[in-house]
Amino acid sequence: MKRKINGIVILALMVTAGCSSKSAVTAPEVSANQAPSPKITQTVTLPTATAPSMPASPSGYGFDQWQTGPLGDVFFDFDSTVLSAEAQNQLKQNASWLGNNSLNRALIEGHCDSRGTSEYNLALGERRASTAKEYLVRLGVTTSRLETVSFGEERPFDAGTGENAWAKNRRAHFVMKK
Amino acid sequence: MQLFRYVVAAVMIVLCFPLSLLAAEGGEYIAIRKEGSGKIALALDKLDAPVKEESRLAQSLDTIIRDGLDFTGLFTMISPPLNVKDNSSRDNVVLNFGALDSVGAAVYAGGAVTNTSGTISLNMQVYDTSGAKLLLKKTYNGKQQQLRTIGHAFCADLVELLTGKKSIFGSKIVFVSNKTGFKEIYECDFDGHELRQLTNSHSISLTPVLSPDGRYLAYTGFSSGRPALYIRNLSDGKTLAVGKSGISIDPGWRNSRELATTLSFEGDQEIYLIKADGAISRRLTFSKGIDLSPSFSPDGNKMAYVSDQNGLPQIFIEDLQSGQVNRLTFSGRYNTQPSWSPAGDKIAYTTWENGGEIDIFTVNIDGSGLKQLTGNSGENESPSWSSDGRMIVFASNRKGLKKLYIMGSTGDSQRPLLRSDGEQIQPCWSLFSQ
Repeated sequence: MKRKINGIVILALMVTAGCSSKSAVTAPEVSANQAPSPKITQTVTLPTATAPSMPASPSGYGFDQWQTGPLGDVFFDFDSTVLSAEAQNQLKQNASWLGNNSLNRALIEGHCDSRGTSEYNLALGERRASTAKEYLVRLGVTTSRLETVSFGEERPFDAGTGENAWAKNRRAHFVMKK
Repeated sequence: MQLFRYVVAAVMIVLCFPLSLLAAEGGEYIAIRKEGSGKIALALDKLDAPVKEESRLAQSLDTIIRDGLDFTGLFTMISPPLNVKDNSSRDNVVLNFGALDSVGAAVYAGGAVTNTSGTISLNMQVYDTSGAKLLLKKTYNGKQQQLRTIGHAFCADLVELLTGKKSIFGSKIVFVSNKTGFKEIYECDFDGHELRQLTNSHSISLTPVLSPDGRYLAYTGFSSGRPALYIRNLSDGKTLAVGKSGISIDPGWRNSRELATTLSFEGDQEIYLIKADGAISRRLTFSKGIDLSPSFSPDGNKMAYVSDQNGLPQIFIEDLQSGQVNRLTFSGRYNTQPSWSPAGDKIAYTTWENGGEIDIFTVNIDGSGLKQLTGNSGENESPSWSSDGRMIVFASNRKGLKKLYIMGSTGDSQRPLLRSDGEQIQPCWSLFSQ
């Protein structure tokens, strides 16, 4: 319930030729019981040029009972739109699957936990979805195949309270579209 | 010493004179306050019903008027003395002002109800008791199903007469409830009565706001699958969806012809001005990140809004003419939901506190005079001012589910607004009164 989220600071990764790195990615250090400290402007750490060709598996980081399709979800820290290393890895898998299944399109839903105010969470949810989309586009997925929407705190996956539930609700959720 | 005694005596007379009436003769209103109490001592007499069948009507109207005046928090109700009427003739009632004065009533209101072939008439008279002066004599007519309208029309006149301000009678509150299992928009009267469902989207409808003239309702709705701006013309019920890619969040009216909302069609989330016909007229914000929840000064020249340009959300004020932006809130790390007071001097907003609570504050528009209105009562959200600036409606989960509550503008007299199933959130109090 009061899990301390480790302040993660991903230093700017200067990546190989062809990609231009932008900046640091940070997550705010925050305890669940405290209003968080200000975050640094979020940016995406660029993927390496060689995305893994590993196929998505229906288990692991991005998959739970709410995720039945081939694309795994990605999770966020509180009030953050920063993609963690696991999230980036999941997005690489998703990009790879989309690369092999070029007829499929995906809807990316941005979700938030119930804390904070709902208008702000609607905005935050959209930024989560678009951050995930932006990452996939940089990996080569055509932008028109990816749609985004925000549900803010309106459609929680786990209706409970406490960090376990909240963590499940802070996600970009992938829905396949034909 | 002699002089000192004289001064003390004079001061005592001024302080103790129980009913110092400040009658602004020839002005717009008559300010009547019992010294020190801040409330108007009102003797509201039982309404007469000349015909026996009308006594039930009189009783209903009596309750409506009494509850309505009580709701305003402006009055101390004083029971009229038994000998308030010196004679029993209905046609020529003579009031015993001496008796009224002695029980401390500053104002007396009384009247009679008649029913003439379905038309209800409420004949009211209001007196200043110390001067035995007639302040108001008026007849209110309507049908039997309009008793609330009739009674509240009198209440509105009485409040405006005594305070010089437009009253809340006839104003509406729109809000979101999930009682059907979906988040739909509802409206009720200022006092929580006359609940009515406005949307039936079977989807998610959020953040309803009424235009100042009451002609339009704007809200964020998910009917199309994504949050979009909807503007409903309340006279013909036609609803317009503002068609832009991306999403739309949390509209606020600048005046009755123009509103602002957050749109993301250009990539970043920015606030835009939009005409009531849905045409985008101007982009208002240019900062990177979330810009949200516009609330305008009464003259429409300034906009309070939420921005996370410094990290976490804070409230900023933008001058729409110069484009200059100033940060308003520095206390609290997560401040959202600004609501500009109708008098223009204050902004109410919510702070997400360290302990996990959400509380409502007010602050002057220059950032001074910070005042906490709620505390130790869970999450208190979405403050919205009454048109007279004397009250604030908000949502709170202090008793479990989120419900609507009312309080005075300094946080006093917090109480539930209405009884209804499910949760109620995001209230918006209309500036107009019908």
